[in-house]
Amino acid sequence: MTVASQTSPTGPVAAPSVRQPTAQWAQGPLVPLVSVGVALVLGAVFVLISGNDPIAAYSALVKGAFGSPYDITETLINAIPLTLAGLSVAVAFRTGLFNIGAQGQLLVGAVAAGAVGARFADLPGVLLLPMTLLAGILGGAAYGAIAGWLKATRGVNEVITTIMQNYTIVFVMHWLLQNGPMTAPNAFGTPASAPIGAGAVLPIIVPDTLVPLSRLHAGLVLAILAVVVFWFLLWRTALGYELRAVGLGPRAAAQAGIEPKRRMVVVMAIAGGFAGLAGMIQVSGVFHRVYDGFSAGFGFDAIAVALLGKNSPIGIALAGLLFGAFARGGAIMQSNANISSHLVEIVEAIVLFVIAAETLIRAIAKRRGTPAEAL
Amino acid sequence: MTIEMLLGAGVLAATLRLATPILFAALGGVITERSGVTNIALEGCMLVGAFFGVFVADKTGSLGVAIAAGVLAGIVLAALHAVAAVTFRADQIVTGMALNILALGLTSYLDYEAYATTGTPSTIPLVPDFVVPGLSQVPFVSDVIGRQNTLVWAAIIATVVLQLYLFRTIPGLRLRAVGEHPRAADTVGVNVYTTRYLAVLASGALAALGGVYLSLGAVGSFSDNMTGGRGFIGLAAMIFGRWTPIGALVASLIFGYGDALSVSLQGVTIGDLRVPVQLLSTIPYVLTILAVAGFVGRSRMPAADGQPYESEGH
Repeated sequence: MTVASQTSPTGPVAAPSVRQPTAQWAQGPLVPLVSVGVALVLGAVFVLISGNDPIAAYSALVKGAFGSPYDITETLINAIPLTLAGLSVAVAFRTGLFNIGAQGQLLVGAVAAGAVGARFADLPGVLLLPMTLLAGILGGAAYGAIAGWLKATRGVNEVITTIMQNYTIVFVMHWLLQNGPMTAPNAFGTPASAPIGAGAVLPIIVPDTLVPLSRLHAGLVLAILAVVVFWFLLWRTALGYELRAVGLGPRAAAQAGIEPKRRMVVVMAIAGGFAGLAGMIQVSGVFHRVYDGFSAGFGFDAIAVALLGKNSPIGIALAGLLFGAFARGGAIMQSNANISSHLVEIVEAIVLFVIAAETLIRAIAKRRGTPAEAL
Repeated sequence: MTIEMLLGAGVLAATLRLATPILFAALGGVITERSGVTNIALEGCMLVGAFFGVFVADKTGSLGVAIAAGVLAGIVLAALHAVAAVTFRADQIVTGMALNILALGLTSYLDYEAYATTGTPSTIPLVPDFVVPGLSQVPFVSDVIGRQNTLVWAAIIATVVLQLYLFRTIPGLRLRAVGEHPRAADTVGVNVYTTRYLAVLASGALAALGGVYLSLGAVGSFSDNMTGGRGFIGLAAMIFGRWTPIGALVASLIFGYGDALSVSLQGVTIGDLRVPVQLLSTIPYVLTILAVAGFVGRSRMPAADGQPYESEGH
């Protein structure tokens, strides 16, 4: 299994300048907008064929996502892990690697954060919260680095490694949380870890007087910071320059003295770190413990988020928000309009499919392809 | 722990049952990747096979039509992958992921529409077991293979047929040539596009048959995401089996045995320690990573696997 981005089989690659404009989104929001439009129309057709009212479906979805201040905060809660996992996939894409493993890295980050948060539950927040944060990031980074290391030293395709890692951690979690060292005796019937200490909990950032009962937590601040870090790292540091150079043309980069192999390990660790942070935030901000079967799917949605956002910081944040709205709105649509929330997955799949096919059609039209564009 | 729990007839029979859906997906993987197209949508093909098998069995009451419908659903999904991957040279991993998400969304949506409150009906026709004639008197063996589902045998037969096809026939040789060196195959008159299309469609059909086995053979009903990653274990079995049908069979049996053990060793203790049965389920994934990395044998993929092909004179 080889990712088509590694070399262009269609002929000589006209690599553009490594100094791309930061806001690629501004350059071409057309493809993402068209793909979302096509997906929504096809989704509507599908709803119609299955005997439901598409207008009722979409209005319930929009109302569920943005209908009230509370709904908006719920949408944001969903957008946080999606954006972070999207950054994870995107930073790897920028280096020419395909990180299918954001899901697994997210779970490892959650487990690490949950373990530290519960083990040192008595520590004060000033100590415990940074420790939990670090555990989540390092856990995800270590898991990601394995894929980078195997690619660099043994030539193992990172797609294979990360797919296998995604499933490995699911079963390790079954063990940890069902009859392993992290299992809590009582967790409302669902296998789970012991709760994290109060010091590890991310505070709610919306006052009750403004939005009653809001669950929106400080993870939003961390996610915004992560988007800034992503931008700064890739476009304002030497390492980021090297990573993007490897992504645009590994051979040219090697000629310029940038050893691609070492960068593979580094970038997969960074990718894992972003995803691990997403997992930590879900534990510290939302669930306050680790559940078995936790956050299923965020890491896979992240691939769509990264591609829809064209691997750019602003684009990923907007795409994360859109998919967050889909997740929140879809759930409300099911309970209020009685249309399965799985409609959202169908729309999402079409978005991905159109993007994959469209960029290629365009690449063929232009008779050139670069890794940044092919993906 | 007893020997019965490790090697009893019950465990071995369960190994065969659990290996079958993995094997179908792995065979699908072998044929498509040998032609040079990566298809990680096998999971999705399996899932639509499982759903439409049950759905059509319910609507028509005919087992034959139901199996055909399940297989057809897998072929349709695979056709989308073929159009994107072969004709438009889209990124095969992205379209594969998209189709997996589509299959999950579609089947869960339709399941909710059709059976939300009731669950899938229990009156649908199911794939019968095949009783091996003359085995009933043979102890142990009859308990292992005497009464397995017909599709278990179908998977084994498909393995042998595919092995012979790929390595003992001219069309099989051509298919492998397309996966190793498409330009050379093209030069001697093999149609790369047609070969790849057919291989991808065949992979969808095989994976969907694995899904049909799950829903209409092993379980008797459909539930959301019931494949639970077996398509991906199939990919693992394909890799661990070095892209050959027989290798995929052996790998599927190893993975199925791990699954069977994780059931039979549930709650068993060694000394004071409970056997961490869930960790047994990680074996397929860990072994596959080690195999691809060359720590366990050496697993080499077809040279042009995953690379789009564009003929000259375009």
